[in-house]
Amino acid sequence: MPGKKEVWCTVNGKKTRLLAAGNTTLLQALRDIGVTSVKRGCEEGECGACTVILDGLPQKSCIVLAQEVEGATILTSEGLVQNGTLHPIQQAFIDEGAIQCGFCTPGMVLSTWALLQSNPNPTDEQIKQALSGNLCRCTGYAGIQRAVKKSAKLLAPKLQGGDSQ
Amino acid sequence: MKPIKSQTGIGKWLPRKFDDVKAAGTLQFTDDLRFGPELLHAAVVRSPIAHGEILSIDFSQALEVAGVVKVLVGEDFPHHFGLYLQDRTPMAIGRVRYVGEPVALVVAQEENIAREAAKKVQVQYRELEAVFDPVKAATHSGVLVHPELHTYNHVDFVLPQPHTNIGNWFKIRKGNPEEAFENAAHVFEEVVTCPQIAHGFLETHCSICQQDIASGEITIWTSSQSAFTVRDIIAKGIGFPLHKIRVIAPPIGGGFGGKAGMTIEALGLAAAMHPEIRGRPVKLFIPREEDMLTSWVRQGYVARIRMALDEQHRITGIHNTFWFDTGVSAEYGANPVRSAGYTSMGSYNIPNVWSDCYAVYTNKPFGGAYRGFGLPELMSALEVVVDIVSHRLGISPVEFRKKNMMRKGDTTCTGMPMHDHGLQAIIDRVAKDIAVEKKEPALRPGWKRGKGIALAIKAPAMPADASSSAIVKLNGDGTVEVLAATMDMGQGTYTAYAQMVSEELSIPYEKIQVSFPDTKSHPYDWQTVASRSCWSMGMAVKRAAVDVRNQLLALFSEFWQTPVDTITLEYGTVMCRKLGKTSAIDEKVQNGFKMPDGMLKGGPIIGRGSFIPPDIVYPDPDTGQSPKSVVHFTLGAVGMDLEVDPTTGAIAINRVSSGYDVGKAITPANLRGQIEGGTLQGISACLMEGLAYDEKGKLLTPDFTDYKIATTLDTPGEIISFWEEVPEELSPYGNRGVGEHSMIAPAPAINNAVFNATGSRIHSYPLSRERVFKALKAQRNGENDFVEWPYALDVAFKKAKKKWD
Repeated sequence: MPGKKEVWCTVNGKKTRLLAAGNTTLLQALRDIGVTSVKRGCEEGECGACTVILDGLPQKSCIVLAQEVEGATILTSEGLVQNGTLHPIQQAFIDEGAIQCGFCTPGMVLSTWALLQSNPNPTDEQIKQALSGNLCRCTGYAGIQRAVKKSAKLLAPKLQGGDSQ
Repeated sequence: MKPIKSQTGIGKWLPRKFDDVKAAGTLQFTDDLRFGPELLHAAVVRSPIAHGEILSIDFSQALEVAGVVKVLVGEDFPHHFGLYLQDRTPMAIGRVRYVGEPVALVVAQEENIAREAAKKVQVQYRELEAVFDPVKAATHSGVLVHPELHTYNHVDFVLPQPHTNIGNWFKIRKGNPEEAFENAAHVFEEVVTCPQIAHGFLETHCSICQQDIASGEITIWTSSQSAFTVRDIIAKGIGFPLHKIRVIAPPIGGGFGGKAGMTIEALGLAAAMHPEIRGRPVKLFIPREEDMLTSWVRQGYVARIRMALDEQHRITGIHNTFWFDTGVSAEYGANPVRSAGYTSMGSYNIPNVWSDCYAVYTNKPFGGAYRGFGLPELMSALEVVVDIVSHRLGISPVEFRKKNMMRKGDTTCTGMPMHDHGLQAIIDRVAKDIAVEKKEPALRPGWKRGKGIALAIKAPAMPADASSSAIVKLNGDGTVEVLAATMDMGQGTYTAYAQMVSEELSIPYEKIQVSFPDTKSHPYDWQTVASRSCWSMGMAVKRAAVDVRNQLLALFSEFWQTPVDTITLEYGTVMCRKLGKTSAIDEKVQNGFKMPDGMLKGGPIIGRGSFIPPDIVYPDPDTGQSPKSVVHFTLGAVGMDLEVDPTTGAIAINRVSSGYDVGKAITPANLRGQIEGGTLQGISACLMEGLAYDEKGKLLTPDFTDYKIATTLDTPGEIISFWEEVPEELSPYGNRGVGEHSMIAPAPAINNAVFNATGSRIHSYPLSRERVFKALKAQRNGENDFVEWPYALDVAFKKAKKKWD
């Protein structure tokens, strides 16, 4: 396609080809290949509904250009589901009333994932800071706060196991 | 023995329907649907001026852009639409009335192309004087936003005033207010103002429209709370048969009223129905900045409340004047005005009431439905006035409220008797949770701590004929499908419906499925609004489930040759203990029962249920009186414990207690979610939200950088949510609506707590840092009351506020 470039990266563990013009955002490129858990909430980096994990860090995919992700590793919330089983963070979101409309949920789950990777036992204040870039209009964040704490507990043995090796 | 046994019925904590796919991110919202290469994209050309005549539209350059298919203007689709008042065209015709109004639509092969081409459309305007202040627009303005108002169709219970800017005028005339004020021991008069606010849902509006070239049938996929109402408004607007319009409503990413009624659908339809485009799906996705500019807003208002009291501190009379800023359209905004009007007494027993609520047109984005529908507006003013009055009288705000609250048998301002409720217990609990009478030191050095409470009340605000229907289908493997055209936008109604069906059929919850609305497959429901679904649609779902049960039991009775009352339904199994028989719910319910006489009987079991409120009478247009104006009221209260930083104006909330009389908690997980979410939405509205415009009516806050909504950092230290259960008489399980109510009282409770903390009374929302700082500064100059209203400068606001009649 004229003006569009092939970009090869790893999306949810699979080698993936994106087609991107110079001004195509990573958000759009992912949605174009059917990865629609990343949402168009504001397309200007304000709401966090398009959050992805890009090379290990949470990023708003609406303010990353697709042509920049050559060779990168990208994780979205679909990629957290293993063999039909939800990730413990996703399950904790369900169990703790952290989900209402579900539009912010994939981004919120990924920001939680990133937080717990770097800080397996966050304080309330650290949770608030880490999720402050992800807007939610439905839940009042109360269930989300509970879900993050529960996730930390669920993942603690796993993460500690990982550290000891 | 209980004839139906279920472990997953009413009142149970269960994993909510669709939460798994929401967590995974695989649930498809409207923007996620794929339509292949046939899909066209539309982009909107919008007015840069607030009021003016369109002199010319030149789109020749746009048509030259490769990939552009068509450019449409207002005259190409000259239909008027509206739920209560047809004052809206999808694109401006001849005249623009607010900054952002669509003037042309560019249709192209790709979204980016449509957007780029839209910039090339040249529109010439002759600018006209505009009006932005609702008080000025209603009383002093030479500017008419809708000179054609007298020609618009409207429903009987909306009363536009021709040749004015008043789109609806709702009146209450009860008792003898004049005498009440003459004889009063105390009279108080206060003013409260609030700007328009935005819904701030995370998913912006999106729709895809397509018309079949052979049948002419229209299909609309849309992010809507109101599949059937979209169908009906469009059918009326373009004069089209209902059966030829199909509306499919995929899951939506938040609604809060902002996706109620018809929003952007007709605009996309203008393209999809054009002869040169017909047959191809046309997608209209509204980006955030346009969404903030051109979708419903909560109406701003200027409220004046006068209150008369006797020697015993009983409220004997109230005189309300509410100027609601409905912006450019009152097609939906006419009704929150009415909703606020027929609750003019708040939660109080007031014998003499004079109330005028006006929906006033201005050259601003259009007011419409917003969580609470007139009541957060009314109560944010009234609950502040009640607080002021109690302080002036020197009695505790809690005692004053309890003394004057409406009890069972008292009459509301529309003259209907109040039903039983648990408000008193809720007030006591809230007061205790925040230790309202106890002065406590601030937790933050240098801050001032205060406590405040406010009451909430709301009835479902809907036309008398808002009906619901449901179908419950029993499958041959004992699973169930429920067709109920409610939009589950996160409030969790599908979970509630599945519990209701489980309660009636004993079938486990996980075997019950509820699907998103499609007007072709689902039976009719008016809209998912007004906190009505678990009540109105709940009635229909329960009836449909009972219908299934009756059919099932009758068939088993004949099959087993035993009376119906010897058969029980236990956890999805049919049993007759007397005969020692047990049967799964299996193919028989689909393929028929082979009866003892050898003949097949039955066939697929389908239950149906319909409901319409049986006894609602529209209030008299001159007095607002009616034997029963609304179906029921849900009451509640909120207590706030907060602190104010006098050096910055910042407010931090330590603890909120929020309780409502829900009649019966169907799904406690949903209820907690509604209370927590609505409480923060109310806090957010109070502390930081307000649409701001420049002097030419241009929106200054079109995105989440400039229009702040609460983030995790703005959450209270603690939200206590609780409920009382005084059952509602006419109700599926005694339950009442509660979805909107949690947003009603947080703002006035904050306002009252700020007064308690600082002694400064802020009469204008939001209580932003800047405003609190200014109020505290004014206080140092001896001004304990602080009012700011950006558009009232030219009517000498402080003088005018006493003379609006």
